[in-house]
Formats: sequence, structure tokens, C-alpha cells
Amino acid sequence: MSLPINRRSFLHGMLHGAAVCVGLPFLDRFLNSNGTAFADGAKLPVRFGAYFWGLGLTDTPTGGTRWVPRKTGHDYEIMPELESLKPVKDKVSVFSGFRAIGDGRPNLVHWSGHASILSGVAPATTGRFDGPSFDTRIADAIGTSTRFKVIDIDASMSRQPVSYSTRTGNTFATPETTPLALYTRLFGAGFQDPNSDDWKPDPSIMLRQSVLSAVKDQRQALMAGVGKADQIKLDQYFTSLRDMENQLAIQLQKPEKCAACAPPAAPKETQRSASVDAVRANTRAMARLLAMGLACNQTRVFNFVHTSGTSETYIAGQSKIYHQITHDEPIDAKLGYQPETSKLASLVMEALGDFLVELDAIKEGEGTVLDNSLIMAFSDTGYAKIHSIENIPMFLAGRAGGRHKAGQHIHSTGEPVTRVSLTAMQLVGAPVGEFGSGAMKTARPITEVIA
Amino acid sequence: MTTAVQQKVGGTQSLMMGTQLLIKRWVCGVFIGALALAVTPSFKSSAQRAGEARTIKPALRRITETQYRRAIADIFGPGIKINARFEPEKREEGLLAIGNAELSLTSSGFEQYFALAISISDQALGEKQRATSVPCKPANPNHADDVCARQFIETYGERLFRRPLTASETLARLKTASTGAERSGDFYAGLELALTSLLVAPEFLFRVETAELDPANKGQYRLDGYTKATRVSFLLWDSAPDQELLAAARNGAIHTEAGLKQQLNRMISSPRFENGVRAFFTDMLQLDGFENLVKDPAIYPKFNQTVSDSAKEQTLKTIIDLLVRKNRDYRDLFTSNETFINRPLAAIYRIPFASNNEWASYTFPQSSGRSGILTQVSFLSLFAHPGISSPTRRGIKVLEIFLGEPTPEPPANVDFSKVQDSSKGTVRGRLLDHMNNKGCAGCHRRTDPPGLALEHFDGLGELRTTENGVRIDVSAEFDGVKFEGAQGLGKLLRDDPRVPASLVRNVYAYGVGRKTEERDEAFLSDQTRAFASNGYRLPALMAQITSSPEFFRVVVPSGVQRASSTPAARSAPHKKNKGGFR
Repeated sequence: MSLPINRRSFLHGMLHGAAVCVGLPFLDRFLNSNGTAFADGAKLPVRFGAYFWGLGLTDTPTGGTRWVPRKTGHDYEIMPELESLKPVKDKVSVFSGFRAIGDGRPNLVHWSGHASILSGVAPATTGRFDGPSFDTRIADAIGTSTRFKVIDIDASMSRQPVSYSTRTGNTFATPETTPLALYTRLFGAGFQDPNSDDWKPDPSIMLRQSVLSAVKDQRQALMAGVGKADQIKLDQYFTSLRDMENQLAIQLQKPEKCAACAPPAAPKETQRSASVDAVRANTRAMARLLAMGLACNQTRVFNFVHTSGTSETYIAGQSKIYHQITHDEPIDAKLGYQPETSKLASLVMEALGDFLVELDAIKEGEGTVLDNSLIMAFSDTGYAKIHSIENIPMFLAGRAGGRHKAGQHIHSTGEPVTRVSLTAMQLVGAPVGEFGSGAMKTARPITEVIA
Repeated sequence: MTTAVQQKVGGTQSLMMGTQLLIKRWVCGVFIGALALAVTPSFKSSAQRAGEARTIKPALRRITETQYRRAIADIFGPGIKINARFEPEKREEGLLAIGNAELSLTSSGFEQYFALAISISDQALGEKQRATSVPCKPANPNHADDVCARQFIETYGERLFRRPLTASETLARLKTASTGAERSGDFYAGLELALTSLLVAPEFLFRVETAELDPANKGQYRLDGYTKATRVSFLLWDSAPDQELLAAARNGAIHTEAGLKQQLNRMISSPRFENGVRAFFTDMLQLDGFENLVKDPAIYPKFNQTVSDSAKEQTLKTIIDLLVRKNRDYRDLFTSNETFINRPLAAIYRIPFASNNEWASYTFPQSSGRSGILTQVSFLSLFAHPGISSPTRRGIKVLEIFLGEPTPEPPANVDFSKVQDSSKGTVRGRLLDHMNNKGCAGCHRRTDPPGLALEHFDGLGELRTTENGVRIDVSAEFDGVKFEGAQGLGKLLRDDPRVPASLVRNVYAYGVGRKTEERDEAFLSDQTRAFASNGYRLPALMAQITSSPEFFRVVVPSGVQRASSTPAARSAPHKKNKGGFR
């Protein structure tokens, strides 16, 4: 091409006028002629999200499965507990039969399952992981060009805020637990509208950088005489400080325009309730805010908890909580499964459906935010009644910018869950060749779903 | 960063030019400043340098939300507004004080503290406040003033870091203050930046415990005076050391038996002792659970945030009144029905409220079936489900909190497939049906009885003697002893020697911020005996624990390079261990 081009016009022109929101540091390279990838063949950055719900889905030893499709591949049929995924079926892949392997460690109830998925190893103690959760690796790989490296959300209204994202295995992230808190974080003070025509760098931000420098100066003196465990804590502190520096640096750069970005109004404060309906409404409201946060390029990585592993959610007016029902309810002899439990599982899946639909509702580039994302949705158990960590339900939703050959059912006979985790990491472009330890160590992603 | 900015200049030249120049100028300023820093000779005397090489840092723990808030209120006054979401804390062996010792700061946590630091500095140095908060006046308010800035930084630095700042720490903030003042043309803006940098520093957000070589015991370490002061202050007042305690650290009085005792007596007799006791019992009784407690409004419509706050306050007021103001026997907490209520609680307890004050003292009659804090709305509602009571949960918590006996997680291989649904009318009936399962009975036989005795109180704490038309049986058996109802349970706990022993262990572990080990057992037994001979009085217990050498015992953590007296060791750079997973 002989016309003088700068990066911005090239980007807008190539994508037929529809802007895709990308942060500046990635515009070191030029796009290919389709505008769907960089000229050197690497795909446009996608978003990654981990979505967790507690207490699995219904699949009993007596053969009463309510979620595992009989067919594999693209033609999988929508099972009763997957009804809510119908609107986005061709963007969701279903993974059944994968399990967490303890390698001699006991199955820590409502913990070992998802700890294995996220950290690649069954932990020794409940409440801790024995390695970082892999979302942190993705955040380090693709999250440094946005204001927030990662956003953590907990919609569950639990007794304690729930997060399964950790760098050290001891300290877990602090999630936003209400729509208003999430709104404030994403669009409150410090938000810079990327489409604003009168952006100016804020001099007070530069001064704040000097505040952090003064703290960093003391690092060596502080580390002197500190024990090993405390060094890890201080390392994490300084990592967090660097993330803040990065945030300030990004806020000093003029943001790229995002056609899909339309900052929303602040939501109202709502009454706290942990009923299934309230948690579902909370999930939908936060999904909507998150989707717009992604479209406005505030973050590229998120962790979302719908309910915790020992979900205390309940149907309003009924005294038993979901967790207790999974254990107490007997299997119906005729049906082959627990009907109340299955009903609750369906209600929980409705929230996942809502979540994905919200991401799919925002048009972006040639598709939607969901098309440019990859969400790994997973639970802590397979058959919750017996705390089984076999056949833990896992889904990959979103096309990952075209990389994910979505809409398939992949069935395994007992392979480790880490294969799905590894697949997710590779689909979003994290430079990870293998994942997991011991019997869960794998270097084999599920190539059937990788373009 | 400079490169990225320069690359952007292509598009909107005029807009970017100003930014580019601004950033270039600023970057140059910082570079020159950094250069100046590098060539400035160290202010430390050789004695100080040698002393620092002989110190180690045995522990580091994050301050809690209440400690943060109280420190700010103590140092800057109660008018400072703190609007933030604090990082969640972690409970280990029953105490947040132990669990928090393992925590660091995540990125979002740092973000919150940073925003808070900016807000607090802005408030503290606002036009109206600065007259009281700044101890000196700048020569010219539109320029830097190192002399006044230094005074400000050293004064507040010492209060915030809970020890005097080192020369290097002071210098770093001086640079920030003067650069900021020159950049913005405002001396106080410079001070704000310096203060922000103190408020976000790990030396403030974490309690960095320091140990020095003990002059009285060759080769051994002792906690330095400021660390001792901090331990004492956080236990007794839940706050950073005040000026008088800092002085005792500075002049070494805290290292002497008489000097330490003087401070302990002063602090325990102070009204601020109540803050320390409140913070301790909030942790031990797990009252932080109220922050996110939810109940099903369809089943417990009376429950709301006000009830939640009131329930917590009722229990804390009861404890302060009984154990501090009246200096009574700790075990009375399980049997005394003297308490306080307010209007929202009166509705749940179904008693009349006839006072014009917010709170009124009230004594439950014997006939109410209530027995001390076990039957207050706090304990009953925290350890239950959103829509129903839970004997198992309450039983587990009685054992964990008051007897110091935690219950292990259920093993994964418990065969729930055999559990049949029960048609019994009461929670007790359904629970006992499940206990026919051998795999379950083992644990439940131990955990459920204390909870079964509390079944006259529903998931909110309201009294009910029937459930679904069936009379509720509150008889139970525990450790071979049969008892009935809450009053039976209260008496059982009152007489159980594990109860005072568990309190002693909790006070010690809370104060030193770590789990107790076998080598602590002899000390803890001695302390428990002393507690008993002092009539089980809490203030005496706190005094005796804090005045024991064990309270200041140094545990050298693994991975620390112990100091040696050779010059080589003194100047050798500390090798950073690449920590990781074993």
C-alpha cells in the first residue's frame, strides 16, 4: 500500500468500519488483509473468563444423567439441565467424563475438584491451593494492557466473599460482590471513557507514580532478615504494587476508541438475599456490567463465582439449602435421579445461560463480545451427593476470536480435568505448553476444539 | 512508557505534544531526583548499620480492618471518613489473628488501599484540617520546604510505622514531597503525596516484627522495643502504640519488668481496654460472620441488617459489662442472663422494650430457658441456615469456639447414597434418623449434642417449644454426661476445664499471631492454673500473659539468614530466596 497510514486508520479501515477495542501496546504489529488477525498470523487478543458454580450437575451411578449428551461432536443434543444454553449452543462446547485425580491425596469435599481444575494439582489442605490458579497466568499474558489486569466477581451472596483466584495458594482475590460495587470499580472514579473526544492525561496520576516509587525504594531494606514464607508475602505485595503502576501508566495513555463501549448508568443498591432467584438476578446484573466493561476495554480477564462450592442458596420459602438437599434427597426409584436437586441444578444453569446471553448481546467487530471471548465454566463436583470428582461438568463458551471450534460435545473416559484447562489457556494465546502435576500433568490440549 | 507515548504522537499531533513535553519534563525531573538519591551518602552511623545487620524479622502480618480504621482515627482524628471494601480475612485454628498472618495483598486489595491512602491524605491535609495536622508552617506555601516536610514525615511516619523511620525511609518521602510541591506549586500537595506513600507502605499495612540480638543473652534474639510495644498495644487496645508506649520502647523501659508492668497496668485500666476486648471476642466468637449473614425473609421476616448489627453489639456489650466493668468470672458468660437489648432485638426475644435510650439492660428470667451468650441471637443466628436451625452447625461451633476442639471436614467417601429422606417433624428427629447411618454417626454423635440442646431456638434465635406441632426434645448426652436444654449446656460448659484452657490458648495465640505448638503446652497449663486462681478474671489473664517472657518469645522462621558479627556478613547483600511450592 502506498498511502500514508497510521495504526488507527489501518485498524478502522480493515475491519470495515466496525472498531474492535484493543489496547495500544498490542498495536506493535499491523493487521492482515482480513482484519481478523495480525499480519504475522497471531490472532487478535481475546478475553478470558473463569465462571464457577457449586454442586455440579446431575449424573447418578444408576444411569440417570440429566446433562451428559448421548452424542459427541457438533450434533450434541440439549439435555434437560442444559436447556438454558440453547440460545448460544453453537458457541458452547461441552466436556464430560473428565475427572480430578488425587494422586493419593484425599478428596477434600467441595474443594479438590475445582482446585484441581484451576491449579493443576489436588491440594493437601482445604482452603488452600498448592499452586497458583491458572487465570493468573492468563492475566499475566494478556491482561497487562488494560486498566485492570483482572476483575474478580462473586454473585453468590455467601457468608464470606468467594474467590478461587490465587497466586500463592494462600491469599485469594477480593471479588466485587454487588452490582453497585462492580459498577463503581469499572465505571466509577478513574474510568476514562475511551470514546471521549477531550481526553487529557491527568497530572495527578503522574504524581501518584512517585508515591509508588518511594515505596518500592524500600524493598531491599524490607526484605532483609525476612523468612521464606514472609518473602512470598512481600513478593506478592510488590507484584500488586507493580500492577497498580501498570494501571497508572495505562491511564496516562489516550485510550483507543471502542465503538461497542457505552458506559451504563449506576445500578441501584439491592436488598441482600441468597435465594436462587436473588442470586440469579445478581448474576445477570453483574454479567451485564461485566460485558460492557469488556467492551470498554477495562479488563481482558475475569473470574466470576455464581455460587460457592457449598452453595447455601435456597428456593425462597423452603428451609433446606441446596447443599443439604444434594445430600439428603434420595434417588427417585422411577426417575433414577434426585428430582429436587436436578431442579436446582437447572435453575443454576439458567444463570449461566443468562450470563452468556449478556455477553452475546453486545455487538463487537464482526460478532459479539462472546465471540471474542473464551469462558471456562466449571463446578466443584460431578455427582454432588457423594462428593464425586469424576465427571465434573466443564464448558468452554465463546469463540475466542475464531480460535475455538465451538458447539461440540467432547466426552472423555476419566482423563484429567487439566486437559480442558490447558485447552482454555491455549485458546486465549497464553504461552503454556503443559499444565498440572502428577497424574494430572498434561501437554495434550483437546485439539478437536482448537482451530 | 516514554516510547509508547512518543509512538502515539502521529495521530493527533497538537494534543499529544503538550502531553509529551509534560511527560518528558517530568521524567527528566524524576531521573535527576533518582540520580541525586543514588549519590547521597548514607545518613546512617556505623553503629546503626551494624545494628541493622544484626536484626531479623520473625513475622509479618497484615493489619485488620478494625486496626486500620482505629489507627487512622487515633492518628488523624475520628472525622476522617473511610469508605472502602477491605480484603477478606482468613480464619485458621478458630482465629483470624492466626489466619491473617498468612495473607498478603492482592492487586485489587492494593488498589483499594491506594485509593484509601489518597482519600485519607486529602482529608487530613485539607485546608481546614492542616492547621491541626501539620506541626509547622512552610516558608512559602507554593514551594517545597524540606525542614517542615521532614518534621511532618517523621512525626506521622513514626505513628504509622509504629517505630521511628529510618533515614532512607524519610529521605524517600522527602523527595516525594518536594517533587510534588514543585510540580504542583503547593507545599501541602507535596505533603499529601508523602503521606499517601506512608499509608500504602508495607511497613504500615503489615505489622513487621523485628528482633535484635539480645544484650543479656549472647547469640539469642529478643523482640525489639517497638515490636513489643505493638504486640501489647494491639492485644490490649486493638490499636497502634500511643505516644507513651512508644516512649517506653524508645528509652528501653519496655524491656524491664517494672517498665513493662507500668505500661500494662496503665493500658488495662484505661477505657481503651474495652476496644481490645471487643476485638478479641469478635474474632474468637467469629462475629465477623455478621458482615454477610443472610436469612430467608420468607421464613424469618424479622431479620434485617439492623438486627444483624444489634445482635453483634448485644453480645459484645454483655461481654464488656461482665468481664471488664464488673470483672466477673469468665465462666459466667455461659450462665448469666444479664444482658442488654434494644428495640429490634426485643421484637425477636419477644420481650417488652420500655426505655427511652437506645439500649437498656435486661435480665432474662429462669423461665425463658436462655443461658448466657449461647442463647443470644448472635450465636443462634450465625450458626444456623438461612431458613432453619442447625444443631450440627451449632454443636461444631460450641466445640470449636469454647472447647478448642475443631471438627474435621467430612471425608469424601461418606456414603450419602444410603441417606433416606426423613419424615420426622422436627429438625432433631430428622437429624437423629440420619445418625442411624454408621458412616455419619461417628462424627455426629460428638458434634450434634450441644446443638440439640439449643433446639428451643430457631434459626434466628426465637424461642419455640414445638415444631410442626411436635414438642421439641432438648435432651442430649455429651462425654457421657446427660443434660437438658440450653441451661444444661451452659452449666456443662461452666464446669468443663477445657473452657478456660481454651480461652487462655486463644488469648495467647491471638496476641502472638501464630498457632500454638507442643512446646507452648507447659506455659499454657501454668497460665490456665493462674487464671483459675485469679477467679477466671479476664483483665488479670491479659496482664499475666502479656507480662510473661513467653509473650515475647522469638520464633526464628525458616529461610532467615541469622546475623553474624563478621564485617563480611554485615555488608553482604541479602539473597532473595525464590520462594515457591515444595
